[in-house]
Amino acid sequence: MACRTEERTALVTGGGKGVGAGVVKVLASRGIRCCINCNTHPDMAENTLRAVREAGGDGFVYQADVTDLNQLQSMVDAVIARWGRLDILVNNAAMQPNLFIDQYDLEKLRRIWNINIGGYFHAVRACLPHLKKSGCGRIVNISSIHGKRPTGFDAGYAMTKGAIRMLTRELALELYGDGITVNAVDLGGCKIEFKTGNAPISAFAPAECRNPAMSGFRMVTPEDVGKMVYYLCSPEASAVIGDGVRLDKGLVLI
Amino acid sequence: MRPTVIFTSASMAEARDARSYLSSLDYEVVTVPGEVCLWDEQALGAFAAPYASSLCGVVHPAPERILGSVESVSEAQWDRAANEGPLAAWCVTKVFCGLMKENGGGSMIYLNSIHAEKPVGNGALFSMGCAAAQMLSREANQDYAQFNVRTFFIQKGITRTDPDSKSPVSAVYFGTDLRYPQREMPKEGYLNGLIAFLLTPQAAPLSGADLRADGGMTMFYTHRRKVEGRRYLGMPD
Repeated sequence: MACRTEERTALVTGGGKGVGAGVVKVLASRGIRCCINCNTHPDMAENTLRAVREAGGDGFVYQADVTDLNQLQSMVDAVIARWGRLDILVNNAAMQPNLFIDQYDLEKLRRIWNINIGGYFHAVRACLPHLKKSGCGRIVNISSIHGKRPTGFDAGYAMTKGAIRMLTRELALELYGDGITVNAVDLGGCKIEFKTGNAPISAFAPAECRNPAMSGFRMVTPEDVGKMVYYLCSPEASAVIGDGVRLDKGLVLI
Repeated sequence: MRPTVIFTSASMAEARDARSYLSSLDYEVVTVPGEVCLWDEQALGAFAAPYASSLCGVVHPAPERILGSVESVSEAQWDRAANEGPLAAWCVTKVFCGLMKENGGGSMIYLNSIHAEKPVGNGALFSMGCAAAQMLSREANQDYAQFNVRTFFIQKGITRTDPDSKSPVSAVYFGTDLRYPQREMPKEGYLNGLIAFLLTPQAAPLSGADLRADGGMTMFYTHRRKVEGRRYLGMPD
């Protein structure tokens, strides 16, 4: 009974746009109530909420900076105040500055560390008491193929994605006994409005540098991610523990 | 002028062993003193300046691990892990790979841990930092290999005196030589030859690689320990 869809609630960080919005729309369309976290683009989060409601789903927008522990806690408290339970945490809020190693300075690196991994780590800590009570707790960390494969253009980003890989495995071991499964989705080439950070490398890489085998390559959509997250949150995925599911339409095979 | 190898820390037993070994091979071996902050680019650059022209290799050991469940982590522990782990690794890479690039080449060796891939069980702060350094090694290879600066990431195992043996996951492996395919836990100095090789240009084809050097521990299965252990120890079936 704990996993009955119509009772469950989810918190999706960075859920207002891009990948997060895709996750919210899929979860909500299948009866899971969603708290849509946003920070820099509340207008886009409101659009996502509108789409959720038009499709018959339930949710609300909460603006919070995931690097601020107090704001994180207030957001979790708001979910509990509204619905009385929290079953699913989808960690998604992140940035990608696209800087080479020698272009980073300490502050820039500390900032991306605090957002991309600190935000995930502290969101887990804030949600954990409620996920434990759920009986069907699920944590899904949205990550990247660059947690294993180097980018060639953003060492700081890849470092945080590598860290998410290990955070996922550690949490999976630590929380298994509490009935909580923890997994990651390793994304590659997802089609979104824009990333929080600088222009992607493809915007300035000369055409002759691109892999010709990628011509005609279709990108993953946020809805693809949402479907994978929904599966990982389902009872059918209860044996999937500490995995990083690669979702890239075969990009890394090239 | 003797070629210089810089160790960024000597807190790890394997690093101390390798330091002695490399000295015997006629390298000038230097260790960054504790008062130099590894995540302070300027301080590290000032320390490295006298060795700029002779620097041929850097060994950057993983920091001391912080153990504890995710729930028990304090803010101070979070900051310490970030500083000593990913931020220090990045700063060391930027300063020393930059110098070796100017020198025409060298080897950047991240002397790290199997916990870049194998969870500790109660050490997320540590393993996250290990994985971040692992990805940095791969990225640094992208940025610096074209300048003949080679990067290597060693996933070291454990020895009898290693604090790593206190982690729940390591406890599965720890305590018996039977956990190893060679029926023997790695002995002191087991990484010396590997590190010496990685400092040579002959290691160039391995640049960017992960080198798991744990005596086969993480590739050996418990059921074999059980089956063979009985035979080994004369236990009844």
